[in-house]
Amino acid sequence: MKIQNRKSKIENGPGQWLDGKLPANVRLGANTVLKGTDAFHRFRSQRNPALIIGQHCTMDGVHFALGQDARVEIGNYCYFSNAILLCEQELHLGNYVVIGWNATIADSDFHPISPAARIQDALACSHLGKHRPRPPIVIKPIIIEDDVWIGPNVTILKGVQLGAGAFIEAGALVTHSVPPRARVLGNPAQVVGAV
Amino acid sequence: MSVALANSRTLPWDWYQGTIPENVALLGETHLETTYSFLHYRSQLAEGLRLGHGATVYLGTMFDVGPRGRVSVGRFCLLHGVWIICDAAVEIEDYALISWNVVLMDSYRAPLDPQVRRRELEQIPRRPARRMQGNAPARPIRICRNVWLGFDSCVLPGVTIGEGSIVGARSVVVENVPPFTLVAGNPARVIRPLENDEVRQTN
Repeated sequence: MKIQNRKSKIENGPGQWLDGKLPANVRLGANTVLKGTDAFHRFRSQRNPALIIGQHCTMDGVHFALGQDARVEIGNYCYFSNAILLCEQELHLGNYVVIGWNATIADSDFHPISPAARIQDALACSHLGKHRPRPPIVIKPIIIEDDVWIGPNVTILKGVQLGAGAFIEAGALVTHSVPPRARVLGNPAQVVGAV
Repeated sequence: MSVALANSRTLPWDWYQGTIPENVALLGETHLETTYSFLHYRSQLAEGLRLGHGATVYLGTMFDVGPRGRVSVGRFCLLHGVWIICDAAVEIEDYALISWNVVLMDSYRAPLDPQVRRRELEQIPRRPARRMQGNAPARPIRICRNVWLGFDSCVLPGVTIGEGSIVGARSVVVENVPPFTLVAGNPARVIRPLENDEVRQTN
């Protein structure tokens, strides 16, 4: 209902975040609206711009958890609800992308595979770590093309490319790239049809 | 356990300044933690939601019910934070236990064809509430008596889960589940049958 009162300001106006002051390195296209008090709670990117969102997007309850060097680009007419975007390097989302409630997209596993390196990482991440450098982690950018539909409770992992029009069923865990207009389901996600 | 006051349509303990919509029927003694659960509720039917005697609805449960959606929750159901996406009908029968972050959806909301979906997505930013308006076909969901749904699981449109069955955590149920069956996995598969050891009272 609050949005209704603010309607006149929003229509054709600049993009805005309704619940706080937008970080300086975020660019929102015209008529794009972000909602949710925690949208930038874990937004640490120093890039400029770090987050670019196109026009006419609606994002209700989205979380932008961006690391120091992260950069996220999102197209026009996207519709997200409560999506969690975890980015260390690069996420690229096209136009007309729909993301359902509680979906997670992450371009990294955030910790190394090697047991020895993971001990170093635990030490560096500790509050006693005193800015000790973290060991390198695997990061692979994610590309989500136009018209992709991502259902609720979906997880998209690093290095995945979702082809245009792909349909990711609710709860799917996507570890490999998906061809255009394929319907995928399961953990790990498998192609089960086409749209 | 406290009782919602059917006349006042507000909850004395509520942290959220909301009301229980007029077309929500509370039968007998029910417990609602917060009216925040109705943030996305917009059913226009005479009775858009019915909660049975002894039903409990905790924080995190969201009734995302479209204008023609009808949700019915049976007696002594426990909704522990379930996201109900309903454009047609979601029926939850007596004694059902539903864990946190479960998704029950009778509709995909958006049209499945990407070209048609584009037109819908172009309309959303012109609407004051900026909502998707469920033009996709909906297929009712039925969670039968005494079903237990594990956390983070999803039930897709058109699915019926038979009486007494259990769905393991993080499962995605894409087809009907027979009665008294344990299913798990993504997609969910039958693990084993369950013995029905309930002794029903006969008169």
